[in-house]
Amino acid sequence: MAERIGRRRQIAPDPSFAARFEELTRRLSEPQPLAQARARAFARFFELGIPTRRDEAWKFTDVTRAVNRPMRLAEPRPVAVELLAPYRLGGEQAHRLVFLNGRFAPELSDCARLDGRITVTSLAELARTRPELLAHSLDALDDGRSFTALNAALVEDGAWIELAAGSQLAEPLQLLFITSGREEAVMAHPRCILRLGPACALTLIETHVGLGEAAALTNLVVQLSLAEGAFLAHDRLAFAGANQTLLAKLDGELHARSRYCQTTVVVGGALVRTEQELRIEGAEAECLLAGVALPRAHETVDNFVRVHHRAGGSHSDQHFKSIVADRGHHVFAGKIIVHPGAQKTNAYQKNDNLLLGDNAEVDTKPELEIYADDVKCSHGATCSDLDASALFYLRARGLDLETSRALLMHAFAREVIDRLRDESARALAERMVTARLGERAPLLRAEPLEEAS
Amino acid sequence: MATAIETVREVTASEYKYGFTTPVEEERFPPGLNEDVVRRLSERKGEPAWLTEWRLAAFRRWQQMEMPDWQKVKFPPIDFQAISYFAAPKQKVRPKSLDEIDPEIRRTYDKLGIPIREQEILAGVAVDYVFDSVSVATTFKKKLEELGIIFCSISEAVREHPELVRKYLGSVVPPGDNFFAALNSAVFSDGSFVYVPKGVRCPMELSTYFRINAAGTGQFERTLIIADEGSYVSYLEGCTAPMRDEHQLHAAVVELIALDDAEIKYSTVQNWYPGDKEGRGGIYNFVTKRGLCRGRRSKISWTQVETGSAITWKYPSCILQGDDSVGEFYSVAVTNHHQQADTGTKMIHIGKRTRSRIVSKGIAAGRSDNTYRGLVRVLKSAEGARNHTQCDSLLIGEHCGAHTIPYIEVANRSARCEHEATTSKISEDQLFYCRQRGISEEDAVALIVNGFCREVMNELPMEFAVEAKKLLGISLEGSVG
Repeated sequence: MAERIGRRRQIAPDPSFAARFEELTRRLSEPQPLAQARARAFARFFELGIPTRRDEAWKFTDVTRAVNRPMRLAEPRPVAVELLAPYRLGGEQAHRLVFLNGRFAPELSDCARLDGRITVTSLAELARTRPELLAHSLDALDDGRSFTALNAALVEDGAWIELAAGSQLAEPLQLLFITSGREEAVMAHPRCILRLGPACALTLIETHVGLGEAAALTNLVVQLSLAEGAFLAHDRLAFAGANQTLLAKLDGELHARSRYCQTTVVVGGALVRTEQELRIEGAEAECLLAGVALPRAHETVDNFVRVHHRAGGSHSDQHFKSIVADRGHHVFAGKIIVHPGAQKTNAYQKNDNLLLGDNAEVDTKPELEIYADDVKCSHGATCSDLDASALFYLRARGLDLETSRALLMHAFAREVIDRLRDESARALAERMVTARLGERAPLLRAEPLEEAS
Repeated sequence: MATAIETVREVTASEYKYGFTTPVEEERFPPGLNEDVVRRLSERKGEPAWLTEWRLAAFRRWQQMEMPDWQKVKFPPIDFQAISYFAAPKQKVRPKSLDEIDPEIRRTYDKLGIPIREQEILAGVAVDYVFDSVSVATTFKKKLEELGIIFCSISEAVREHPELVRKYLGSVVPPGDNFFAALNSAVFSDGSFVYVPKGVRCPMELSTYFRINAAGTGQFERTLIIADEGSYVSYLEGCTAPMRDEHQLHAAVVELIALDDAEIKYSTVQNWYPGDKEGRGGIYNFVTKRGLCRGRRSKISWTQVETGSAITWKYPSCILQGDDSVGEFYSVAVTNHHQQADTGTKMIHIGKRTRSRIVSKGIAAGRSDNTYRGLVRVLKSAEGARNHTQCDSLLIGEHCGAHTIPYIEVANRSARCEHEATTSKISEDQLFYCRQRGISEEDAVALIVNGFCREVMNELPMEFAVEAKKLLGISLEGSVG
């Protein structure tokens, strides 16, 4: 019997989820269409269950322990402004939405300079003013993933962001998510819906910061759509707490000649899973994804990527790296799907891993699924310790072992960090990475904090 | 290269030239599978009680198991009760000399281009012929015996060398390993057995030729090869089947065991009937092949050329247990029309400084689907393990699919793993270059494809390389222009 259970692809969610759902619907008492959409999503969540490692999408990561347990719905907890200062990115001119435990905090946000080019509404407000629109959006995304359904059922806040046609914003927009808990485990399910009209341009900085030692789950869903010729640079920085789980689902739609550049840096978090499904629907679109993760201790970072080429002449590139120390675990499961007729597609995928801990593990699965012949697709994956000859080169020039190692690791991570669009995001990422790689390397002097903020 | 072009020309009208059936009298069980059938099968073969029990245990395991559904290939559910689990050419006693073999069977192998006698003398290849479920002849036995090499059918090995069979059977692929391995363990009818004693280098290629002849049957053969310390053996496997509208199941199990300093080279040219242009008929080739490098510095090398079968679904694997052991996998998989292939390998690194190399070439044409699925797993104990994987896919036509699904799992920091894969079509430049020099398009494609596969072809023993190159041409016929 035990074996049978062990072989199941999903397990039933903890009964406390039902209690939380009831609690939430009672508290919000929303109008019919929205309440129904939530109920449908919640039923779907129960139907899908919590995936086990028998589920191919979760083959390398056990999510059940982190997620399937009683958790309270997170309350917004006040946070000292000074604590946030280092994470306020994008410079003076940036628009900034701050979320405390998944709830929009207007007093900490910078929305004063928002004008007609960009519309920003908190999801809680949208639920009050246009419940049918939110209900429609929740219904629109059913990807067969239980956590997406759970998000739709329990979402309390987030952002609805729309850029009118032709709006090109020079200043970035930052979404800053702060998660902090006390003793009890809490969960938050924010959702962001981002729509870029034709020929829009935006730099989006998404930052996740975990404060405190308490266990917490952030289950974020981002729905993205880029109209013809739109451009979105998406810098994602995750600095989650040692006992925090971050599940970030991104669902994106790219239309003709649109360009999407995403760069992710993950430093910290018990479990950080970024899952993305990007669909190229129009010709000559471009989708560039890069990421670097530095799991250590017992941390797990899991990247799950699906890029669909449904239209010809498009280009996609995935480049994910990791530096794994101690008992850290890095997972990359990327897939390029070239659908029939998507000729002249160029798609690349690369996963490089530095395995530094004696008990560390790397699992990688770069997949190609191709149904059109006139394409150029390739992938590569590597995994090893630092290159002995490169170390020798540096040591022969008088650098000590620690410095040599740090220098090589730093260079390895730098390739991704340099791709961050926003300068302040780059500086912060650099700082966090340098701090993580160890302070014993005098050559790698960290930038002062002031410059980063 | 010249051969491929010649062959493509030669066979432009032909499709599957091994599609004939042989009218031999045969003995077979009625369709269906239950414990009784397993018992009767075992009894019919005069097996000892331990083997009957072993089969029954496997059968009970199998009944508990479900057909896996993770594979990329699609096929309607198989009715395991509609298959006859034993079909054998009728013959009371096993022929004492080759002259006693049923002339019809002899003619079949002649048509396949392997006259038993000639091959024996000319090629110097020792061959075990498996016709439907039963091994019909083994050549060169005497000469091998002088060296202490045992090469016989597995039924014979059960009778003559029970201690060896009992020791190693199921030691690499346990009966409950997977759905089809369990089925095979319960109903395997025959197959080849090889034992190479300590320090002996087998002087000739050993070979098995498999043929499915009877309709409504499946073939479940079992191959067991043991290379004792310091020995070497090269083993070839070839297969064909008649053209039929029904799908036939071929669920074999191959187990290789290499002890200290031993080397096994296993080559397959798989040319089972692939079905017709519309995807009717053809063999389901669901095979479990696994090698265990048990000894230090042992080596197992798989080379396969997969051109046939409606569905190919197999992963010849190496378990690199001994320190410094080496695993290799070279594969060409060609699919055309409605063929489906989901094939690749597994390299499990356990011992220190174990090395593995994977070269896989997939060619998809017509409406076929060609998937490489592979696993490289480096366990924590595999200090200094090394892997290099290369898989390339070639697409011919816009209705086919080529997929690559590699799994790389590394738990030792001193290991070094590299994986690279590409997918593309035949380059216009290369085609243009050939066409400009007066080579027709079809010839040019054959030329380029052969070049694409060269790395793997070079690994094949000579006799097979020629055949494999020809097959490549035939398989891709009608896919260009």
